[in-house]
Amino acid sequence: MEVTQNAAELCALLIDELYGELPSRIFAVLLSRGRSNLAQLAQYTSMNPRQLRHGLAVLIQYNLLFHQSDGGNTVYEANAAFAYNLIRTGKILEMVESSFGPVAKDVMQNLMISGQTRVSDLLAAYQIKIDRTKAAAEQDMDIEFPEFKLNGVNGNYHEVKKPDHQVKSTAQLNSIICRLVEAELIDVVHSKSFQSPDDIVKEAESQVVANYFPNGVKGGKGKAEYEQKVAEALRKIRSESKSLKRKLESNGAASKRRKLFAGIGQNGASNGTANGTANGSNGVNGANGANGAHEEEMDPALDPKQVIRINYEKCLVDLRNRRLVQFVCDTLGETTGYVYGVLLRILTKQLSRCQLDPRLDIAEDGNENQGPASVTSNELLDNMKTSIDLSLGIGKAAKNIISSRAAEKIRENPPKPKLFIEAAVDGDASADESESDDDESSDYDSDFEEQPAAPAANGSKVKFADGAAGKEQRMDRPMQLRQHLLLLSESHQHFLRHCGTNEWTVDFGPLLQIQREAELDAVIERTSGKDGLRLVRILRTNGKMDEKALQNIALMRKGELQQKMLEMQRAGFVQIQEVPRDNKADVKKSLFLWYVDLESSSTMMLETSYKSMVRCLQVLEVLRQKEKDVLMLTKRTDVKGREKDVMRKEYFDRYSRFQAHEKQLFAQVLRLDDLVALLRDF
Amino acid sequence: MAGDDDDNAKLQILKNALYDEARNHGSEERLFTQKDLIDLGVIPDSNLLLLVKVVQSLCDDRLLVGVSSGSGIAWRWRNREDAKKYTSLPNEETMMVYAVIDEAGADGIWNRTIKNKLNMHENLVKQCIKHLETKGYIASMKNVEHPNKKMYIKANLRPSDRATGGPWFTEGELDTAFIDQLKEIIFEYIKSKSAYLGSLPGQSANPALRPPRKGTIRGTAPSAPASDADAASARGTKRAATDISNDDSPAPARAPEGGGAPARRPPGKVYLPMPAGYRHYPTVPEIAQLIHDTGITNNTTLGEADIQQLVDVLRYDGLIEPIKVNGRRGYRVARPTKQDTVSFAKRQKDREAGIGLDLPMFGMEPPGNGLTEVPCGRCPVFELCEEGGPVSPANCVYFDQWLEI
Repeated sequence: MEVTQNAAELCALLIDELYGELPSRIFAVLLSRGRSNLAQLAQYTSMNPRQLRHGLAVLIQYNLLFHQSDGGNTVYEANAAFAYNLIRTGKILEMVESSFGPVAKDVMQNLMISGQTRVSDLLAAYQIKIDRTKAAAEQDMDIEFPEFKLNGVNGNYHEVKKPDHQVKSTAQLNSIICRLVEAELIDVVHSKSFQSPDDIVKEAESQVVANYFPNGVKGGKGKAEYEQKVAEALRKIRSESKSLKRKLESNGAASKRRKLFAGIGQNGASNGTANGTANGSNGVNGANGANGAHEEEMDPALDPKQVIRINYEKCLVDLRNRRLVQFVCDTLGETTGYVYGVLLRILTKQLSRCQLDPRLDIAEDGNENQGPASVTSNELLDNMKTSIDLSLGIGKAAKNIISSRAAEKIRENPPKPKLFIEAAVDGDASADESESDDDESSDYDSDFEEQPAAPAANGSKVKFADGAAGKEQRMDRPMQLRQHLLLLSESHQHFLRHCGTNEWTVDFGPLLQIQREAELDAVIERTSGKDGLRLVRILRTNGKMDEKALQNIALMRKGELQQKMLEMQRAGFVQIQEVPRDNKADVKKSLFLWYVDLESSSTMMLETSYKSMVRCLQVLEVLRQKEKDVLMLTKRTDVKGREKDVMRKEYFDRYSRFQAHEKQLFAQVLRLDDLVALLRDF
Repeated sequence: MAGDDDDNAKLQILKNALYDEARNHGSEERLFTQKDLIDLGVIPDSNLLLLVKVVQSLCDDRLLVGVSSGSGIAWRWRNREDAKKYTSLPNEETMMVYAVIDEAGADGIWNRTIKNKLNMHENLVKQCIKHLETKGYIASMKNVEHPNKKMYIKANLRPSDRATGGPWFTEGELDTAFIDQLKEIIFEYIKSKSAYLGSLPGQSANPALRPPRKGTIRGTAPSAPASDADAASARGTKRAATDISNDDSPAPARAPEGGGAPARRPPGKVYLPMPAGYRHYPTVPEIAQLIHDTGITNNTTLGEADIQQLVDVLRYDGLIEPIKVNGRRGYRVARPTKQDTVSFAKRQKDREAGIGLDLPMFGMEPPGNGLTEVPCGRCPVFELCEEGGPVSPANCVYFDQWLEI
């Protein structure tokens, strides 16, 4: 993560919000000064070593620091990426709840509150809790872990917990942790977890040199070999955090459990994502309790000394899935969005991170973590909730006005990056121009001819009801599912690629690029209006253009156009280039070409987002200062929890108004984070 | 003397014969080379000297115009009326000016260019132009590309599209109202033809958990035989009452309308995407045909290229997207489920009544994101904003407004 001034400010504010001022100040100093040792820190912060040690301990506990010691001298470095991830706490918890049920969310939340934790500590903490719950079964749950301070970010997860949302036994806790580990949402802290990535790379490099190239790396071949060796070493280090997962997998419990569930049918774990995306209901999770007893016994007890923490990388993959589903819901409708959600979930099961590391992943030969493979139609069908009516969400049309040949086209290779010229020449943005031109004549003119051809192309799986519309409504379920998949792959955004008969995959790179453009468009449309958006999109499809050409395409008045372009140039959405006609470079004769630079616009938007988030949090602080007396009151132990009854009405009104504002501001920060995640992390 | 007269008479006959023959062999645009003229078979014995004489004489009469083409000199004929105009001019200069303007054709010519081309004094040019204008041979015109230049054109010509700016310009001004109206019509057409108007199964309830219902979404009435035309016409048009009674969503009592366009669709209608491979997405020729048939543009003829231009603008506006099915390039509405289902006629009526004027003309509300919602995203002094500065989070008026403090 590149740390700019605004990003640094934001990270410091987040830490302040969650863990208090002391760690926040140390963190801010570390960010601005770079890696420092204790003495330097003392100098920069004018704090005494005791304070510093306290602050550093907190930061280390929450994984917010990298540190390295050689011979007594320990240097600390800020881990800005993790600090930023704090903002996503609420989102991740929500995601875990919808995928794994409320109990797992509770475990995850506690893990977040306590930072990296030894399994035994977590078990012990829960043991106390379980005992007490048993002792005071009918009492309300006041014996929770210290309340998570960032109320707003957690949204409404604050509600009184029902007993069945609690962990009931340590065995259940163990099983939940196992499941989360299998999903890679929790990983293991190991010796290298606290080294900064740069250090790890350096160390791996020097080790490779020492072990394999004592005489230095020579020649092209040697260099390639060297890089491969380094990548290998790095991969080994990276996979260390997955050791627990591998252990569980080799144990075979996971697969056994899966088989069992397949027999039972419905279970919260396998259907969870669906809940969150398509309908947001928790009803299905009811089945959880019934199965509970079986699953717990099968999981091996975890090594109590193992230290676990939350794996944000994998969380991001799941958050990205949710985001894409949202995008599909927005463009194509909710049922299709649900189908897409299921597909993404299966597809990304083995995907550990959103962005591949060029150094590590390019060299790999597709064994692990390579771009997602593909999902077959049958796999999808097996994972669809039976209560979903797949016939919804797509329009109906008579059989003979649908070209199944076009719809079923198989694209084996990911789309090539579009060239400006291509788009400009034929004014069409579809990337598969040449392919579809081939069958132009035969298909379009003879509407009915292709009917016999269709089954051949689709394999035997797909059967069409003959002609009549009445029959058409009775498409069987595989066909309905297929309709959604085809719709997705035909979409302008290329959500899906039909990469083989009945096989489907997603090209994340180009798809996310399109989504980034869409977000940028939204911002441009709101700030510069429809006309501005039109101009930017013209430039994006056609490349550089002078004003006159732009005017002709956009059908806008010259004056308005000039004004709009200037406005957008100031806002940083478009750029201008001067091209002299001759050596004299006479300004009057020069050509002025407008163009858009997506990269710089995105960077700018990212910065604006950081700064806006910072402002939201600062405004919140201002509000807190303003309502100081009320907030002080609510902190009193005799008031806490019973604000409405105890406080005077006037005070309570002020308090609830403040709460509303706090909620609004936090919600906004999270909305901004959606944007940041898309621009930076996905 | 007699020989001369004889020659003259002979020349006159040859001239007429050559001129008529040339007229028979092509339009005014056609260029005749020397060989072409000989091959017309008018000049006896293909006598080149005689040909030169005849052509020279025709040129003097302004009946032939010499043009230097790529392969040498060539001629084209000019009709007698125009030629007469030339000969009726008082002097050589006026004739030259008229020739230059004539040459410029429908694009017209700038008076400064005339002056430079002929290397004449400005006053003289002015004089000639004045003379020509009073005679009604030429007229002044306006060019959209250079609105400030004084241009002249032959009076009997209509300025070319390049000069007038094509159909989108009215008196040299871009007619945005006209364009917007047409865009709206095209968009409505594409919207209704490229998406399927289905009912929304219970907006509040969970759509997925409902048992499948018959008749929730239905294009053609079950009794109607399915055919291209039926399916196409069923979409976007009024649905039969029986269709609606099948839905269990509360369909409000629809006032019977006199066969016209549906005034308002019941709430809970939604546009759905067509299945993949749908082959009747409207194409530009179809749209052009629609515009032509409805006769909205009664005194402007719009070609397919013009319609394409409008469709492209809609595409750039993000309202529609191109889709190619089997080589047929059609257009479909973007984000169909988010489109409003208020009919065109109803919207027009509302607008006349002054309702919804603040809404976008057509299309949906622009999508928003975190940045467009927070005050900072639209803050005019965002750059200046810092803690302790003149504009700071502590004294931000925009946030106060937003939070309604």
